[in-house]
Amino acid sequence: MDHTSAGAAPVRMGKADRRADLPFLVITLTLLGIGVVMVLSASFASAYYDLQGETGHNPVYFFSRQAIFAAAGVCVMLIASRIPMRVYRACALPLLLVSVASLAAVLVIGTVVNGARRWINLGFTTFQPSEITKIAIILYFSALICKYKDRMRTFRYGIAPFAAILAVVSALLVLEPHFSATIIILAIGTSMLFLGGVRLHWFIGAAGVLIVGAVAAVLFVPYVAARVASFRDPFSDLTGDGWQIVQSLYAIGSGGLSGLGLGMSRQKYLYLPEEHNDFIFSVVCEELGFIGASAILLLFAMLVVRGYWISMQSSDRFSFLAGCGITTMLALQVVLNVAVCTNLVPCTGISLPFFSYGGTALLIQMGEAGILLSISRENPCAAYAPRELFKTVKNRKIEE
Amino acid sequence: MPPNSRPNRTMLRRALFLLAACGVAAFAVLMIQLFRLQILRHDELESAALQQQLRRTAIPASRGTIYDREGRVLAMSATTYTVYVSPAEITMNGEDPERIAGGLSEILGVDREKILTITADRRSWYKTVKRQIEETEADAVRAFKNEYDLQGVKLEPDTKRYYPYASLASHVIGFVGADNTGLSGLEFTQNDLLTGTAGSILRLKNSAGTDMILTSYEDYVDAQDGLDLHLTIDTTVQYYLEKQLSQAVQDYDIQNGAAGIIMDPKTGAILAMASLGNFDLNNYQLVSADVQSEIDAAVDPDAAAQLLKDAQLAQWRNKAISDTYEPGSTFKIMVLAMALEEGVATPSDSFYCGGSMTVQGRGKPLKCWKTVGHGPQTLTQAAQHSCNVAFATLGLRIGEETFYRYCEDFGFFRASENPDAALTGKTGISLPGESGSIWWPRSVFCNSENFSQLAAASFGQTFNITPLQLITAVSACCNGGYLMKPYIVDSVTDGEGTLVSKTEPEVIRQVISEKTSAQVNAILEQVVCDTKQGTGKNAYVAGYHVAGKTGTSEKVAQDAAGGKKEYIVSFIGYAPADDPQVVCLILMDTPSNETGIYISGGQMAAPVVGRILGEVLPYLGVQPRYSEAEEKYIDRAVPPLTGKTPEEAVKLLREAGLAARIEGTGDIVTGQLPGKGTVVASGTTVLVYTGETPEPEEETVPELTGLTYSQAREALFAEGLFLRSNSTILADSDTVRVVFQSVGAGESVPAGSVIEVSIVNDDNDTYGRY
Repeated sequence: MDHTSAGAAPVRMGKADRRADLPFLVITLTLLGIGVVMVLSASFASAYYDLQGETGHNPVYFFSRQAIFAAAGVCVMLIASRIPMRVYRACALPLLLVSVASLAAVLVIGTVVNGARRWINLGFTTFQPSEITKIAIILYFSALICKYKDRMRTFRYGIAPFAAILAVVSALLVLEPHFSATIIILAIGTSMLFLGGVRLHWFIGAAGVLIVGAVAAVLFVPYVAARVASFRDPFSDLTGDGWQIVQSLYAIGSGGLSGLGLGMSRQKYLYLPEEHNDFIFSVVCEELGFIGASAILLLFAMLVVRGYWISMQSSDRFSFLAGCGITTMLALQVVLNVAVCTNLVPCTGISLPFFSYGGTALLIQMGEAGILLSISRENPCAAYAPRELFKTVKNRKIEE
Repeated sequence: MPPNSRPNRTMLRRALFLLAACGVAAFAVLMIQLFRLQILRHDELESAALQQQLRRTAIPASRGTIYDREGRVLAMSATTYTVYVSPAEITMNGEDPERIAGGLSEILGVDREKILTITADRRSWYKTVKRQIEETEADAVRAFKNEYDLQGVKLEPDTKRYYPYASLASHVIGFVGADNTGLSGLEFTQNDLLTGTAGSILRLKNSAGTDMILTSYEDYVDAQDGLDLHLTIDTTVQYYLEKQLSQAVQDYDIQNGAAGIIMDPKTGAILAMASLGNFDLNNYQLVSADVQSEIDAAVDPDAAAQLLKDAQLAQWRNKAISDTYEPGSTFKIMVLAMALEEGVATPSDSFYCGGSMTVQGRGKPLKCWKTVGHGPQTLTQAAQHSCNVAFATLGLRIGEETFYRYCEDFGFFRASENPDAALTGKTGISLPGESGSIWWPRSVFCNSENFSQLAAASFGQTFNITPLQLITAVSACCNGGYLMKPYIVDSVTDGEGTLVSKTEPEVIRQVISEKTSAQVNAILEQVVCDTKQGTGKNAYVAGYHVAGKTGTSEKVAQDAAGGKKEYIVSFIGYAPADDPQVVCLILMDTPSNETGIYISGGQMAAPVVGRILGEVLPYLGVQPRYSEAEEKYIDRAVPPLTGKTPEEAVKLLREAGLAARIEGTGDIVTGQLPGKGTVVASGTTVLVYTGETPEPEEETVPELTGLTYSQAREALFAEGLFLRSNSTILADSDTVRVVFQSVGAGESVPAGSVIEVSIVNDDNDTYGRY
């Protein structure tokens, strides 16, 4: 492959000759920077009013913490980008075991917030085992798919072991309960199997089951039915989830084309719940308008496309699978978060990568970005034009 | 790396699919959704967001005050509060609607269920619970709000209208509805001036209701207070008018209301305007007790509601401008003025009345009210007699075209291009509900082959005008000939008292010359002041040279319906005749047949106008000029006698026109009855005590009605009681008789009490519907 062809110049990373992918790095750092600034803007009012008695009326309480974690996150990313992929492959099983153990542990020693036991208090910070579980699943599934190779087309190897792991993890998550993480993990697991070569009819069957299950849930589970009702007409229910969505729509709608200006959100003044967390994107829309919000979505889309790009350029199957898995997870989180904010899907608590306030989640997201950079270092992207990528796919056929 | 560990083609294709789905398609959907929300639904969502973010604090504009011409407050606004709830905030803050409904209904007396219905509308930020609550109730609501920390219950300042004089001039002032918008009277016509413009403060608030930090947005609009009105109405004059009119309504048992107007003839300024029965402006929906009991008695609720509605509309109707009537003989003033101005008659011209006359175009002969006829008479006498035959003759001499033109000039109608159009006209006073007159089309009236309309119009029949039109025209006859535009708002000022506008008296046109006007005044003075022949003699006020004319109109509609004849009795009078300062018209619709008093303007309305002028003229500072004859008959004050010798006392009393009877044998007067300063009838015998003054005993009041003034005086004196008159006429003739007494016959009063009587010159010779 031609390492010096057109496009962004590869960047030198320290003493090594291997170069990390510059576009991915730049987009990640840009989003992180914007995200930290938006945490400041979004959290300013609620930190100042301090209705929870958490911040001591310090308006930059959330911002200063997020900034520290962002700095730490950059370090984590750089370190992760220098770890060879074989090390990740080797660590996949232990990491999954640790994840499952901590998921079990959280049910016992976890702190309860809003009726859910999702956090483990490490003293200096809290972390959610579900976050680490996601990456563990991606890495271990990648390793397993590499191991089973063509046997992935069979049920015994291609479905059974993966389903068993997902069942255990999902069960533990549902017990917390943590439905949004369950959905993400099931989605990622399914994507991994899809990439791993499992026959398509399994997915068609699974989709059928999913649809039937969803319809049944809407019809027979009151909690789900209420969620869907408030999704269909958020204005009908101004007390619960409807209130959140309505406030989010007010914020997004108020932004208009060019927004109220950075820091000028009005909905963040105690109207919009979780304004520096799950609904931070609504504040982005209100302050930066359609132009700003679209630009940020575009950055995310570019990041996702670049993530797949890097992965598909990899000559190592494990790296390919892990990279695609991480990218898919990133895309899922961004899309679901924004879809919730804009009332495209019913309300679930999914945070926006690089934006939502939360230390450990940010560190893990940066670590995942680091893994993609590590993949890019081992297989520097040469093909920047779509034509090149399709050529790669074509060539692979010839090679096979 | 071994080649078999590279991703195979299936994997890459599937990765490509994920790239397209997660990296492109999903984001495209998100962008479209953002576009829909931020661009297409921007206005809708932003205004909804602003509705919850913005708090508008209203600064109510204070409604202007209405003053009378002396600066007395007729209508004013005071601060009250409006209680409202914000159901959205109640929901947001998790406040208990049941508790709010319970608490508010207890404090405000509003139905609990109604409040619950209001609070159920959870998307609303403003729902009114009760308007115009007083400070004490507002305090109770504040305490309730603070006790439970209720963000969703709110108070905002408002104003309420107060009318210190309650029912006085109620039809002129008018009232406002619950939203402080004028609904009647000047409150209605001058609403724009009085209202002002409410101001507001618009602020961004967080959901806890305090100001947003950093994001400051404030829009402050100052309230513009309403302007103040200064009326031409004089509260005292208005009070005199209403007092005498309502007394008359009671005395004559008036069935269908009464109206009165007092005007400055030189300017057209309305000093007083009344319509009875009136109502309390502070409770304008309240009807009189009689009507209310009638409504309560009604079984059918619809009928009761209709009764109430009719009664309210009736009491709100300003008869002085809204009801038209046939003016009857009062209209002869204008005919007299036309005749003199046109030179078709002089005051000394002779007319013969044989009781009837034939008129071209009229089937039956035209009858005078006095069917035996007035015989030969001068023009002055014809006016005194209110002779229909003489005035019809005048009308025919004036001619239909000239008569028609004068009527237009006097403001009774506005001419039309179309000769066949029924004509109408208004004065254009700034009060609501002024009716237009009903006049013949030109083609009918100006018909040289049929003079029946002209003849009937010459004594005020077959057309309808409003009382205000009549008094305006009569003012023109007596003020030198100038038709003035009547007005009621003298000036408008702002809150600081700076003049915004002032109404200048407006001369519409000169209708007759000053010379003719003076002649009219001289003749009309004879109608009142000639105690023998004057049909208006009961309006006489000693010392004030009252001029005037009676009117008695048959209500044609009732007559046609075959019922008993019903009348509107009226009188228009002004004084002093040589320089009129004030003109007063009253009319009373349908006196009862049961009172025993002869139904006519001369017997019923004239004394009332006399009494009104007798009070209003001194109040306005018009000095009385008594003739010697008047000096003799007017009531007088008893001089102080204590400490004087009996001889001195007798002399003092004789000088005062009173007689004396000495009781006791002492040298010094120790007491007197009546006491010093008491006003009694002339010729009264005063008891002068020179020894012990006896303790007053209880005496029984004798029947006085029907007696002459001196008979009444003697009848009372026999019981140790005294007499005075509340009428303005002089008791200078045997035909002057008592019609009412202040204390009824048979009642007991202490000896020495003064009994007040009303007297009327009850001359059978002048009975008639004139």
